[in-house]
Amino acid sequence: MGRYIIRRLIQAIPVLLGSTLLIFATVFVLPGDPIAALAGEKRADPTIVAILREQYHLNDPFFVQYWNYISGVFQGNFGRTFANVEVSEIMAGKFQVTLNLAMTALILEAIIGVGLGLWAALRRGKATDSAILASTLVLISIPTLVTGFVLQLILGVQLKQSFGIDFFPVAGISEGWRSYLVPGFVLAGTSIAYLTRLTRTSLVETLRADFVRTAVAKGMSRRRVVGRHALRNALIPMVTYLGADLGTLMGGAVITESIFNIPGIGQELFRSVYERQQPVVVGIVTILVLVYILANLIVDLLYAVLDPRIRYE
Amino acid sequence: MRVTKGAKIIAGTALLALAVAACGSGGDSSSPGATGGGDTPVRMEIGEPQKLFYPSDTTETEGSEVLAAIMTPLVSYDDNKKVVMDLAESITSDDNTVWTIKLKPGYTWHNGEPVIAQNFVDAWNFAANQENVQSASYFFGRIDGYADLNPGEGKTVTADGMKGLKVVDDSTFEVTLAAPFSQFPTMLGYTAFYALPKAAFDAEGKVTEAFAKKPIGNGYFQFTKDYAKGTDQSIDLIRYDKYPGEKPKFDKLQFKIYTDNETAYNDVAAGNLDIIDQLGPSSISRAKGELGDRYIDQPDAGIGYIGFPLKYNKDYENVKVREAISMAIDRQTIADTVFSGTRAPADDFINPAIDGYRQGACAVCTYDPAKAKETYTAANGPKTLELGYNNDGGHKEWIEAVALNLRQNLGIEVTVKPFEKFQAILDELDAKKYAGMFRMGWAIDYPSPENYLTPIFSTAAAKTGSNYAGYSSKEFDELLVKGDTAKTPEESIAFYQQADDILIKDLPYVPVYFYRVNAGFSQHVKGVKINLLNQVEWTSVEKV
Repeated sequence: MGRYIIRRLIQAIPVLLGSTLLIFATVFVLPGDPIAALAGEKRADPTIVAILREQYHLNDPFFVQYWNYISGVFQGNFGRTFANVEVSEIMAGKFQVTLNLAMTALILEAIIGVGLGLWAALRRGKATDSAILASTLVLISIPTLVTGFVLQLILGVQLKQSFGIDFFPVAGISEGWRSYLVPGFVLAGTSIAYLTRLTRTSLVETLRADFVRTAVAKGMSRRRVVGRHALRNALIPMVTYLGADLGTLMGGAVITESIFNIPGIGQELFRSVYERQQPVVVGIVTILVLVYILANLIVDLLYAVLDPRIRYE
Repeated sequence: MRVTKGAKIIAGTALLALAVAACGSGGDSSSPGATGGGDTPVRMEIGEPQKLFYPSDTTETEGSEVLAAIMTPLVSYDDNKKVVMDLAESITSDDNTVWTIKLKPGYTWHNGEPVIAQNFVDAWNFAANQENVQSASYFFGRIDGYADLNPGEGKTVTADGMKGLKVVDDSTFEVTLAAPFSQFPTMLGYTAFYALPKAAFDAEGKVTEAFAKKPIGNGYFQFTKDYAKGTDQSIDLIRYDKYPGEKPKFDKLQFKIYTDNETAYNDVAAGNLDIIDQLGPSSISRAKGELGDRYIDQPDAGIGYIGFPLKYNKDYENVKVREAISMAIDRQTIADTVFSGTRAPADDFINPAIDGYRQGACAVCTYDPAKAKETYTAANGPKTLELGYNNDGGHKEWIEAVALNLRQNLGIEVTVKPFEKFQAILDELDAKKYAGMFRMGWAIDYPSPENYLTPIFSTAAAKTGSNYAGYSSKEFDELLVKGDTAKTPEESIAFYQQADDILIKDLPYVPVYFYRVNAGFSQHVKGVKINLLNQVEWTSVEKV
């Protein structure tokens, strides 16, 4: 087990190097001079642009720039943005926020998704089942920005104006965990729907399996059959989905973060790509790749817990 | 100055256009929120400042807004668009070249240091020195000795300051300009010209990062803690009670950082925010109904143009062609429909927010399709035209509208060419690669009519400024010099207006629209006023 984990972590190194190189190159070929763009729509002072380009080594060839960057990263130095702020300082704050948001979303997703899926599977073919399936379809087809704005208006603005209930903040993160509830739900929206359907299908299939029939025939209680035997076996695809989703929830929250004014990395990434802030883009992506790698590793390890037949050497 | 915020609104708009369409104007209430009064700060929306708080490196609206609350400028601007003394007791000159600036007594920095003349000289020398790469360094270009601090790329600075700056005593200093400039006092209200305390500098005379995170000012508000850029969602200021001038009537001010203006407006509706100085397109229609007289709609000093590459495309050489193009543009309809009233049709090269504007000065800016067609045909204008714009800033719609106007009214082919960024247009114009018409905009650096003329249309600006048309007129340049050397402000304005007349005659650019400020505030505050620099006048604001 220990050796397996170490091997997986070593495998991560070329993945990291490759992805940073790729992202670095992508930002590199974007048109426009990021330094001149700092001046907005005015002509930037050519001397200042030249000095700054020198300072940020922007005149060096591509591989020299990449080497400068990556060797810095290995020493824990992510460089500075073109507005002269430490990238690591920016990332530290934003990742904390994004992690809060992604975890809220993930927890909501797991509870609601698995719960609804379970309910639907146990009531297969009945009205409850159809209702749940139909509502997931609705959830999937409404874009995040619509759910975001509507919920913000209803829960944040109207609830307070009409009923004086000030529980859900409109935007921002100043209200602690309450700030993350609505955006977390909005962010998890489509995933909840997918997970519900996944859980239902997977569980329905397992419930038809021979070992479940045997358990029932043995006279085991329904609760134990579903909980110990069926659900545990049906859990593997769900765990896979949740693990892969963590990365998406972290990096892909641009719209949700923007609607709810949450200063996370989704927005930062969006803006940095727009401004060609190479060090920020590559820094964030590097960490996201790490998150993906770790999440996948954890998922793989969980397989072994869920299904004792799976062993890692 | 405007750029960052504009881009932000546009990005947000593009992203959220769908949702906006879905939500429409849902809000209908005006019931009071739970907050207000008591110990709540006055809360204002801003975007994230582009940089840390180095005053001479802050050339955008968001950072300037914060600095304006903690710094006292030498001059400010009154309701009649006139310059009034602020930290300065007097600013005088006999010849518009040597200016003597006297400071008012009693001002102190938030750390207790007295405000002295040396603070200005130190700050300005730091700002102008190319080694410090301050983006606002060009503001000091008119001061004698600026060239010594800016020998150019790859050369080392040998001078330790501008020779035009001289401290007379603790409350007086003298500024010598390289050439006479009557508008010099007007410039001094801008962010770049703030003084800096001794505590801002390290042993080598550089402004420290610690200062830029928690600037020590000399204004009516002060910082209480470091600003963590990228992490902090608000900047909280408290009143500086030793401030000797007129103090604000409330003691806490909070700038809340938003990335989306529609969200900020929802926070106003829910009572979590008091002032929003730039409403997004869809919240404007809501705000008009919901805020009533708490909705502000006033001129903003920015202008949008269509420019011509006069220096290398003969197609546009004939001024009649340019006049016809100007008359063929239906500015009123574009302002009303494309911009939903957030722009006003332009009728001068000088903006209505500025003293010196003349309503209807540009006669050929009036929509007259018949005369346009006639003039264009008589001048034998080209059968096809090209119109370039940057498609990252919400310009597509109005550029398409202009192109449609030209097609219909002049009976010619007009193609529009999108560029990925505004800088890309500028680069291609510099390299003479792009030869069509182009969109252009201007946000002022200081509220003087001169700022709409010299940096964009003077011969000298073709090399160093923003004269992308490559326009050059001896008569125009001479009138600018006359304005710069005139004895009184009134005379200066008269000369600048004459220079403006020449632009209207020659049309190197065609002015299309003036920007407007669309702001609003909640029922928890009153007396919100926005000045010429798009900053809130905190002394007039009161909590309700």
